[in-house]
Amino acid sequence: MRFEFRALPAAGGGVQTPRPVVDIALEGLEAAPIACLLDTGALRTRMSAEIASLAGIELSGDLTEEFYVGGLETTGTLARVNLTVTDGTDEFSWDAPVWFCEPWPHPFGLAGLEGFLHHFLVTIHAYDGYLEVEPEPRLKEEQQSR
Amino acid sequence: MPTVTVSGHQYSLDSEHVEAALRGKLPEPIHEHFVVINGRRWPPKQVLALVTGLDRADFTTHQARRVLTRLGFSAGRAASSGRRPAVTHIAATTPPPSVASEAIGRPASLAEALRPFIGLWVAVRGDDVLVAAPSPKEVVAWLAQHRQRAQSMFRVVDSERAITGAAPQ
Repeated sequence: MRFEFRALPAAGGGVQTPRPVVDIALEGLEAAPIACLLDTGALRTRMSAEIASLAGIELSGDLTEEFYVGGLETTGTLARVNLTVTDGTDEFSWDAPVWFCEPWPHPFGLAGLEGFLHHFLVTIHAYDGYLEVEPEPRLKEEQQSR
Repeated sequence: MPTVTVSGHQYSLDSEHVEAALRGKLPEPIHEHFVVINGRRWPPKQVLALVTGLDRADFTTHQARRVLTRLGFSAGRAASSGRRPAVTHIAATTPPPSVASEAIGRPASLAEALRPFIGLWVAVRGDDVLVAAPSPKEVVAWLAQHRQRAQSMFRVVDSERAITGAAPQ
């Protein structure tokens, strides 16, 4: 699967530096995959808690953690959810732990090691402005055998 | 104020009147024709129905488009459904990818399409903005209501800091 880096408009004209972004759909919210910034330095995959409620994911609060992101203190609640990544041509689904955070002031979710990178071979062609995402072979075989 | 006749009824309308009628509303999917109002694309029939209170069956798209262009709004026709596959074809077969990206106008074209929606949540498909709204809940509701499927949903920010603030933990 191939994802072009995404650029957003910059204040005063022009565009911001394009970023590596993958679109990840939550089970129950397939019509609106969430743009997630690929973050190789992040341990977790994080999204806004508001998104969880839209997908009908109940956050039990059994496992939470408080942390700072961008200088803001926030609380993440863990939920194991089914995720799907698609570039519009191919798609791949897997179960993963996602930390849903409140507050979450960021425009994107974060795709980190746990939840995303552990499941994929990711090749970043930063100079050319795109990334390639392939499922980890064992998981791909599991999905094909279902 | 210009007077227009729609389906046998006379209305005194100007652009401000139209813009006011659209406040708090979300545009429906664009099938072919659209008019641009406050930086967003709207189906002409939706706009005229909201402005006049008439049933959409009472007038045609072309009548609605003509009324709205007379009031000073620009109108256009959406790209054909074949546009996206053509783009994919170029990107997939013409190395290097950076050249292909420039040749097809990405990613700057999406960024420019997003410019009117800074601060809002958007659902996009290709380079098209399907819907923009203040909250993801409204975006998701619109997608469900109109049976649309987005490629991606996110909030449009115009500052590098708003993105880099999501630092690794």
